[in-house]
Amino acid sequence: MTRYPTPRTWLLGCVLGTAIAAAACDEKLSDFIGPSTPNLSPTFASIRNEIFETTETAGRPACTNCHTNVGRNPAAGLNLRSDPYTALVGVPSRNRAGATLIIPGSPEDSYVVRKLEGRDIAGARMPLNGPYLSPNQLAVLKRWIEIGAPNN
Amino acid sequence: MIASPARTLVLSLAMAAFMSGRAAATPQQSDPQAATPPPADPQAAQTAPSDRAVDPSQPDFTLIALPTTLRMPKFASAFRVTHRFNRPLGDGNFGDLVEDAFGLDGGAQIGLEYRFGIWSGTQVGIHRTNDRTIQFFLQHQVFRQGEKLPVTIDAIATAEGTNNFRDSYSPALGAVISRTLGRHGAFYVHPIWVNNTNPLPSELADDNDTFIVGLGARLRVRPSVYVLIEGAPRIGYEQDKPYVSFALEKRAGGHAFQVNFSNGFGTTMAQIARGGIDYDNWFLGFNISRKFF
Repeated sequence: MTRYPTPRTWLLGCVLGTAIAAAACDEKLSDFIGPSTPNLSPTFASIRNEIFETTETAGRPACTNCHTNVGRNPAAGLNLRSDPYTALVGVPSRNRAGATLIIPGSPEDSYVVRKLEGRDIAGARMPLNGPYLSPNQLAVLKRWIEIGAPNN
Repeated sequence: MIASPARTLVLSLAMAAFMSGRAAATPQQSDPQAATPPPADPQAAQTAPSDRAVDPSQPDFTLIALPTTLRMPKFASAFRVTHRFNRPLGDGNFGDLVEDAFGLDGGAQIGLEYRFGIWSGTQVGIHRTNDRTIQFFLQHQVFRQGEKLPVTIDAIATAEGTNNFRDSYSPALGAVISRTLGRHGAFYVHPIWVNNTNPLPSELADDNDTFIVGLGARLRVRPSVYVLIEGAPRIGYEQDKPYVSFALEKRAGGHAFQVNFSNGFGTTMAQIARGGIDYDNWFLGFNISRKFF
């Protein structure tokens, strides 16, 4: 016997569709990242503000504490204070021959990521003596590089 | 002795009654479930025989992890426990495997499931795994295999969340399509869309949904023994390799005992969509189910 949809079936479908629409939630980026950098997103402006220039209450120092030309010579010759995009994207590392600081589309090969993860680097992991970026904060940085490291 | 017409009639009726009694008794002896008396509700009585009787082509509500189109009778229910042991069967040599009792000594992903028939052919249920994922599901039979349609089609919707249904909600919507082969088994196709399979926020991911096309079969190799296989090829977000599993199952009355081998631990829809680990690591597991009707 073949059955055809009854009004009850369509009603059930409507209930299901509503339930699915109500339940179709995405993860919240702010929940994923955590409270220390709640506005971090995979844009350069956000990364500059939340990571490069902000010292977290948990203790992670801002990159610009050392990588600045204000009152000192930038550490490793990397100045993230005035024009960080130009200083990072496609720029060869002074620290490791053959490495490039940020390679658009290649987060794992970008030397900045390797320095922050402490993977295949010369010198110390950054930030110097920690605390380090969390894996989820790093995921945001990697995503920005993965989508082409736009100057947005 | 020449039988009189009356005596012949009495003997014929007695023989017919005996034969009909035997015919009715035969399935009861082989299938205790078939001995369930019909319900008093006349409306339920019309559908009860087909829903409550054992269907040898698809005796259970799931294959290994994917659903079947077995109809749940109204107000009936079923329970299932799933185990997927965490030890890869390929680790170490055979002696190591035996020492670990084929993985039984290690941890396992355990699932408990209960489903209930709210209408004839419509069931709701809950499945919880010990990674604190809870999945609610609803399945409704839309078309039934017959002369006009060669397949049975069920609509299925699930919604699951991690951390006891507090985080990472993954709803799914799709169909279960089956084709039974007499009493010899059944083939299944499961086109199902699963939302939010990627544990990352959408800002950090290219794909957040997965469309799986589950494929499965249960073949009856002995009167109550089945060989099962299922897999879930997919498009969209792919965390690992597509899920694949195969199993051997023994039905005993209202119980089904199944030993399975899978390349992952998934038993909920989003877990299946995320996939197995790879094709080098296989894990022992088992399912036990019980129908309460």
